[in-house]
Formats: sequence, structure tokens, C-alpha cells
Amino acid sequence: MKRKEGERDVIVETVTRIMIPFIQLFALYVIIHGAGGPGGGFQGGVVFASAFILYVIAFNLAGGRERFPEAANTFFSSMGLYIYAGIGILAIIFSLGAAQYLNYGFIPFTSHFEENRALGMDFVEMGIGITVMAITASIFFDLAQKERNGKEEEGG
Amino acid sequence: MNGLRIFTIILIILLCALFIYVAEDIPVFGDRDAPPIKAVTLFTMEVDQVVSFLDQQIVPEKLSKELVKRGFPPPSRIEKITGIGIEWNASILKEEPHYAKEERYYWIKKEGDKVRVSRYAFVVRWIEKGLEETSVPNMVTYGLADYRGYDTLGETTVIFTAGVSVILLLRRRSRL
Amino acid sequence: MEWFIAKIFAKYNYWVFIILMMIGFYGIIAKDNLIKKIIGLNIFQTAIFLYFIYLGAVKGGTAPIVDEEIIRKGYLYTNPLPHVLILTAIVVSVATTAVALSLVIRMHQEYGTIEESEIIEKLSKEKVTPTE
Repeated sequence: MKRKEGERDVIVETVTRIMIPFIQLFALYVIIHGAGGPGGGFQGGVVFASAFILYVIAFNLAGGRERFPEAANTFFSSMGLYIYAGIGILAIIFSLGAAQYLNYGFIPFTSHFEENRALGMDFVEMGIGITVMAITASIFFDLAQKERNGKEEEGG
Repeated sequence: MNGLRIFTIILIILLCALFIYVAEDIPVFGDRDAPPIKAVTLFTMEVDQVVSFLDQQIVPEKLSKELVKRGFPPPSRIEKITGIGIEWNASILKEEPHYAKEERYYWIKKEGDKVRVSRYAFVVRWIEKGLEETSVPNMVTYGLADYRGYDTLGETTVIFTAGVSVILLLRRRSRL
Repeated sequence: MEWFIAKIFAKYNYWVFIILMMIGFYGIIAKDNLIKKIIGLNIFQTAIFLYFIYLGAVKGGTAPIVDEEIIRKGYLYTNPLPHVLILTAIVVSVATTAVALSLVIRMHQEYGTIEESEIIEKLSKEKVTPTE
């Protein structure tokens, strides 16, 4: 049954409103617990983006675009890469000349060499998660647009 | 498009014949001593040249010469594995910042008449020393983000480039 | 006959991967619709990933997360190296599919159709010159 214009589907809207915060919380859990169990940066980023996709499927595309504007897309997708490369350059600075590019042990978060490596890995995973989330949501919003140049084409 | 389909089906039949021909060499599922999991055989030597040296835990000259001839680093210490068979571990010295220790590199085993020298696969060190070197329990995570950190950097660049190229192709000019 | 059964039927996993690979291969070459070609590419890549991870399995091994109890009991771990390499390959596959789908959308906007044979007819009739 196709939905007519102006009709609202109450069940889908209510369930979406309840589920979206839990989906985002689960995505944060998957990113941060990548060190103790299955998970990691890539997986958590995609789960986070699926919350935006669920919003667009239940409501209309303009509402989704309001929640994820173009400025946020530009900011988040570059921030993840900056974090990753920045931690590497920080490792070069703190290792005082012996050029160790991504050896997180030299950054003085705590006093042990091994625990520094674990904390460096957590930062890097968060950076990866942010980039993957922004790019996946951006690709979805691109592929699902309607062109209004005289002929109406809807893709995706 | 009938010609294309017939050509494809013939190509698929030829490829399947090739896969059947190769099926003998595929390792059995779950073998514990397969090369990617435990060790890769390098060469075999005669028994009497080396075994007496190995039992006294001295590095034999012939072994070092053979290894250097093939381009591998010579061992520095030998120790005997306690167990059923007659086996030894040979370690080499490595220079790493903050972890300048020796690493267990070769596996020497006596089989009847010959002595087989093999090199441990890299995964053995990954599994055994990962928790002590990085204090992260998940093997895949410390493999992705620490031992293979460069690959993950390139990976993030790939997905960033894909996002940018989709924007360029579809050319969003109006903000909804 | 024994050789046949022992060498070929004992490795049934291998044949599942080969069948998936050939389905994807046929889809890439012999189908007309552009979307079906992209789906064939995805099936092909999935078969390759499964085969690569299969090479690193150990019979009776558990998931590769280090735990003190498991070491004490003497279990084996599966090989974590293929998992690491395939994570990267999956992300590359997602990126490739995204760019391919956006190319299909542009072609639909230009020619009005997705069938490959009709596009080739239109191209040969048009005598396309490079525009600037």
C-alpha cells in the first residue's frame, strides 16, 4: 500500500522516536568497547549513521537534512582524519627525534608504556568512527535526492 | 546478447575445470600446523652436523652459514623445547626502541634422518605477546590500530575520497 | 573413486565459494541492466572475503580475544590476521559500490535508460564529440 501525500504512519513514527537514541548509544558502546570485545571504529561508525537513515525513512527527507546539515558534514568528516594523523605527529614530537610515526607508547598519557598504547588506540578508533559516520550519512543523502530541473528524477 | 552469454558460460566451465585441477593443493580445513598458522619450512639438513651442537645449546656454524646464504638473520641463542619430540627454538636479536629483546624466530625439528629448519609465522608473535605489549585483549583491534596502523590510515583516506567523489559526481547545488 | 571422494568432496567449503564466485562473475559479464552488474560485483567480493577467512580457521579454535581462563584450559585461537585484512577490504568494497551507484544515477540522467544495449545504440547514433 503506497502512502499518499499528507498521510502519516503513526506506528512507524512512534517506534522511530523511541529507538533512535538507543541506536546511537549502542553505536557509542561498539566504538568504545572495541578493545575488550568485538567491535571497533568502522563498525560503530556505520551503526551510528544508520540512525540518520532510519529518521529519513520514517519522516521526510527535508527533516533529515535539517538534523544533519552540510556544515556538520564538512566538519566531522575531516575531523576524524585530523585526529588520526595528529596523534601520529604527536608521537613524533614526544619521541624526541627518533622518528616513530604511529608508536603511541611515547605520548605521556600515563606512566606505563603499554597503557599509553591502549589509550592511543582508543583515540584513533574514535577518530575513525567519526569519519565513517559522516561519510556514510553524506553518501546516503546524496543518493536519495530529487532533482527539480524540469524532469523529476528520483534515485536511490 | 546470445553470443556474450555463450562466451561467458564457456569461460565459466574452463575456470571450473581449473579450480578442480587446483583443488588438491588447498589445505584441509582447520589444520593446526598449516603454514599461515604455525611455521614455514625453509630447508632440511643432515643430522650429525648440527645435533650435537644443538644439544649443548651452542649455535652451530653450518646452520648460521646456510641461513645467511639464503638471506635470513643468523640465530643467537638456542633453547630446547620440553615435550614429546626432539625440537629446539632459535632466537635472534632485534633492535627495537624500548623493546630491544630477542625474538623466537626459528623452529628446528629432528625427523628421522634429517633436521628440518623452519621459520615461525608472524602470527605466533602476534598471538603470544600482544596482551603484554599493548594491554588490549582484542587481537583484531590491536592488529588494526597498532601493528598495522598505516593500513588503517590509508583506509580512512579511501572512504573519505569516496564520499568526496560522490559529492562531485552528483553535484548538490541546492540545500534542501 | 576413493581419490575423487577424498580430495574433492571432503572440501565442500571450497565448492560453496566457487559457486558464489561464478554466480557473481556471470552477473558482471552477461547481464544487461547496470544495477544487476553492480550486485554481481558485490556477490563476487563476498565470495572472495569468505575464502580468505576460511584459510585462517583452526579446528576447535575460539574467537581471537585473549583471556586468562582460555589459555589455562589450553584452547586454540583462530588466526586473527585474515580478519584484519578483510576489514579493510570490506570498507573498500563499500566505497566502490557507492561511487558505482552514483555513476549509474548520472547515466540515467543523461540517457534516460539503464539497459546497456540501449545506451550503446544511442551512443553510436549520436556521434558524441567532446563538449567543453
